[in-house]
Amino acid sequence: MITLLHTADWQIGKLFGQFDPDDAALLAEARFAAIERLARLATDHRADAVLVAGDVFDAQGVTDRTVFRLFNAMAGYAGPWVMIPGNHDAGLAESVWTRAARLGAIPANVHVCLQPAPLVVAGLAILPAPLTQRITHADLTEWFASAETPVGLPRIGLAHGSVQGLLADGIDSSNPIAAGRAAQARLDYLALGDWHGTRRVDERCWYAGTPETDRHRANDSGQALLVRLAGPGALPEVTPVATGQYRWLSETIDLQVPTDLDAALERIDAFGPADVVQISVTGQTDLAGHRCLQDALARAGGKARSLSADLDALRLEPTDADIAALDADGYLGDVIAELGADLKARPDGPARDALALLAGFLADDRSAAR
Amino acid sequence: MKLTRLRVEQLRQFRQPLEISGFEPGLNVFTGPNEAGKSTLVAAIRAAFFERHRSKSVDDLQPWGDSSAAPTIELDFDLGGEPCRLTKRFLGRARCDLQLGARQFDGADAEDQLAELLGFQFAQKGSSKSEHWGIPGLLWITQGTAHSIAEPVSHAAGHLNRVLGQSLDHSLGEVASSRGDAILARVEAARNELLTPAGGRPRGPFADAESQVAALETRLAELDSAIASYCRQVDNLAALRREHRAEEAEQPWLGFRAQARDAAERLAAIQDVERDLTAARQQAGQFDERIRLLRQQLDTLARQEDDARRRHADAIEAARRADDARRQSAQWQARHADAARAADIARQALRLARQEDTRQQLAAQLATLRQQAADGAARLTEAEAAQAALRALQAQAAASRLDDADLTALRERQRKLDENRIRQSAAATRLQFALDDGRTIRIGDDPVSGNGERQLLEATRVALPGIGQLTITPGGADLARLAQAGIDLADAHAAHLARLGLDSLEAAEARQRAGQQLDFEVKAAAARLKDLAPRGLDALRNERDAQLARAADAQQALDRLPAAPDTPPPTIAEAEAAEDAARHAADTLAAQLARTQADAATAEAAHAAASREAAAAQAVLDAPGRADSVARARADLIDTQAAQGALTSRIEALARQIDAARPDLLRQDVERFTRSAELHEKRFAERRDALLRLDVELQTAGALGLDEQRAEVARDLAQAQRRRAELARRAGALDHLLGLLQARRKALTRRLQAPLKRHLDHYLHLLFPDASLEIDERLQPGALTRRGPDGSAGAETGPFDALSFGAREQMGVISRLAYADLLKEAGRPTLIILDDALVHSDAERLAQMKRVLFDAATRHQILLFSCHPECWRDLGVAPRAIANLRS
Repeated sequence: MITLLHTADWQIGKLFGQFDPDDAALLAEARFAAIERLARLATDHRADAVLVAGDVFDAQGVTDRTVFRLFNAMAGYAGPWVMIPGNHDAGLAESVWTRAARLGAIPANVHVCLQPAPLVVAGLAILPAPLTQRITHADLTEWFASAETPVGLPRIGLAHGSVQGLLADGIDSSNPIAAGRAAQARLDYLALGDWHGTRRVDERCWYAGTPETDRHRANDSGQALLVRLAGPGALPEVTPVATGQYRWLSETIDLQVPTDLDAALERIDAFGPADVVQISVTGQTDLAGHRCLQDALARAGGKARSLSADLDALRLEPTDADIAALDADGYLGDVIAELGADLKARPDGPARDALALLAGFLADDRSAAR
Repeated sequence: MKLTRLRVEQLRQFRQPLEISGFEPGLNVFTGPNEAGKSTLVAAIRAAFFERHRSKSVDDLQPWGDSSAAPTIELDFDLGGEPCRLTKRFLGRARCDLQLGARQFDGADAEDQLAELLGFQFAQKGSSKSEHWGIPGLLWITQGTAHSIAEPVSHAAGHLNRVLGQSLDHSLGEVASSRGDAILARVEAARNELLTPAGGRPRGPFADAESQVAALETRLAELDSAIASYCRQVDNLAALRREHRAEEAEQPWLGFRAQARDAAERLAAIQDVERDLTAARQQAGQFDERIRLLRQQLDTLARQEDDARRRHADAIEAARRADDARRQSAQWQARHADAARAADIARQALRLARQEDTRQQLAAQLATLRQQAADGAARLTEAEAAQAALRALQAQAAASRLDDADLTALRERQRKLDENRIRQSAAATRLQFALDDGRTIRIGDDPVSGNGERQLLEATRVALPGIGQLTITPGGADLARLAQAGIDLADAHAAHLARLGLDSLEAAEARQRAGQQLDFEVKAAAARLKDLAPRGLDALRNERDAQLARAADAQQALDRLPAAPDTPPPTIAEAEAAEDAARHAADTLAAQLARTQADAATAEAAHAAASREAAAAQAVLDAPGRADSVARARADLIDTQAAQGALTSRIEALARQIDAARPDLLRQDVERFTRSAELHEKRFAERRDALLRLDVELQTAGALGLDEQRAEVARDLAQAQRRRAELARRAGALDHLLGLLQARRKALTRRLQAPLKRHLDHYLHLLFPDASLEIDERLQPGALTRRGPDGSAGAETGPFDALSFGAREQMGVISRLAYADLLKEAGRPTLIILDDALVHSDAERLAQMKRVLFDAATRHQILLFSCHPECWRDLGVAPRAIANLRS
């Protein structure tokens, strides 16, 4: 029985610009932690080898420190790591790989395949298809079928790219990989990278996905695959294992009737520290609801790892009660009435923010007066 | 609002209750010296309204040293026709009761009712401050604050806007805001944190966010460009490596090197042929030289034989010429001897002819000289005679010479004598007589007859014969003197004449004429002598002697001549011509002779030389071994010419071979292939160096972690952009809100300005006729415009703050009265308190202000506290002294 841990798309060095610097730093940090967990996982499951199917680094130009940190994070597993460059860290004439080698950062048990040539390691014949250019339009796994490997060793393919016909047309048509390559090249297993969610292509071919989610739209990410092979020719047994630290949630809240707000507040209050949340609020609410919503979002922002809310699509519809609650007389009242009228005419106009601000000032004033 | 009763107890100096009643509905004047309690009463009224009864910070109301006192104030007043009572006790048993007509309130509720009615606020904690006082703060003027109007107005503004707005435009349902100004201030502050107040440009955090975005964008662009450059270099590296490997495998320079070597070998082969050709050509040249030398040698030998022959013939010819010359010379010698003899004869004849000619000339010369000597002697004689005559004449002339001076003196004296005689005659007595014929008389001694006249100069006796004698004496003394003068003159004249040897003037005249004649003759004789002997007699004599000597010389020369020949010689001309012809002929022949003699000598010498040369040439020909060398040279020449022929065809063959091989092209080939090889090697080496360089560069650049830096910058930029967007949105909303608030507030204020100004002008005109005080949008007094100080038409305008303290105080009071009028019109309660106000006004202004106050008191109740009772006696009310109230 041969046990392999299949992972890919570590994207080390990614910085998450869409978040606040503090959150972004923690998310970047989490990627190293994910590698440490992978190493532990491989050790725990006594894996024969760990296959990393490309995009180890997010970019060629990561700092030397990042390079060292990555290979240090892999120290928890002393068995062979076999990795290939992907499109983000292609094995160019000068690349992060040549640099890592020059720096002496790559431990002996890490095999970086920069040439498309069979590698025999841990009783496996590994056929790598490293990317040596940023973008290729040729199928780099073409040579697998004709590659001779020692008899009796399982043939394991390692590639990074898009399996043709699997994904929607127009997405990632570069770095193509022919569908059915595993069968055609007599592979026992073809470990793929590039797709950030875990995905089965066929019985011998899988995308592992990224071990730590890095975007809101990556479904089924934050996992690695445990691949068990009884022997050459046997069908692999593939088990996804959770490795991610953070849940990336993308929520849409629609406020139509007053009770929707309560449900929304409940959902917002439920977010925890492992959640990276993106909320989009639609519908309409009155001034009081708007205030409650904002208070809840502020609370959740302090609780969740990261929370970003888009209220642009939420209409503000102040009620008479709202206006009365503001308790503004004289010309202040006139201004509120004018803003209310303007808001009705132009829901997205300047009146919305102005009215919200004024309501805030009045509420502050009132609470100070009390 | 009209105060009707005031009662205080346990309040500062009023430990015992003090009650004041009987307040007038209009003016009430309270007087008292300092410390009398005026300000305490004012403080009591203020505390009753402004301080919460629960307030702990009113212990200053307690009597001095009595911390257990409970200051109590009771106020009765009339409000809108309803009797009201406010009772307030502080500290100890704090309490507040308010009765408004039939309604009863107590505690804070009562206080809030009052605040609403009068338009003020309570302090959140601590004692009430000016910002809480609202409308009463404006109408109740504390000591020394009348001049300050801006602050109380701003504190009252909200209340004023509200209560006045309600009253002014109630029909439109618009109301002033109780919290508007506070909110507006906060909005404005919040807005101005983000935008500049004037331009609305970003500032503070907003501006920071903008500049941060700009800085990060720049940084990002830099990094992008650095990364792009890095990627290009990586691609370049890959391309260079491919080329490097290809060339390393192919090594194209090796082929070029082989080609170069091949060409070089072929070139070397043809260069051997070239060397052979050069050697053959060199040898051909040597053969040419040899042939030339041999030919030269043979020529020389042939020329020697010709030379000998020619010189022999020359010698014979020279001998013949020498003979000819000798013969000719002998002939010319004989002819020359004849001519020389003929010339001698002709020369002798010429000598004789010349001798005879000389003789004839000398004879003629002698005759002439002798004649001349005779002539000279004759002239000498004549000249000697002339000289003697001249001397005689000169002596005669000298004798008869009369000096001109003497003659002039004589003539003068003669004239005087004549004159004297005339005068004597004029003075003389005239004696005329006519005597009968025959009768004679004697006058003096002279007998006279007939008729006549006598002039009598002296007494004269006239003897009349027969009759007697008459003595006639001329009259006059002058006559005697004249007579005497005449005698003197005559004596001198006579003496002079005698000295000269003359007897009369006429004789003198004659002698002078004779002298002149003699002088003439002397001159003529001298001229004759001069004619004869121009250079004197001695010259004549010398001339004669010289002629005689020359004649003697000529005679001697003649005597010395040889005797004349027997036959007369020919003439000189003839002899000269003959001699000349003979001499010329001789000379010609002599020259000819010399020439022929020289020719003969020359020919002789030539003959000798030719003979010698002929002999020498012959000697050369006769030298031993000469024939052998000639034969040798001829054989050598033939051999050499044959060898030369063979060499020439070899040279042609070699040249053809070289032409076919084109060594120049071969040489170019060598160069071309060598250079190509070098070029490829060099390019290979350069590429290798470039690869090394690029490797190092990329390693260095890679270590910078450019992508990671870019990711960081992109992250920061996204964050900065989000912040900027948030701030922009907030700034926009605040700006919008502020604009709306300000517009609304301004519109409201504007409606209040007009009525306020109307009331203000009412009072102002009492103080300054025709003056006008502006009201700004905060309802505060602005610029004052009034007539000039001299009352002229020219108006002057100045801001309120620039007025004097006294004037500001007056303006402050009338502004407050105007507000009170406005409030009154709006149906609001008004009570005016003046605590020691207007103390800075002069008498004139104070008088005007009293009119103002009196007028205002017809509409409002006014409490006036003063320590100068004398100033307020003419207000038409009786001032009430505090001291009297206490008792």
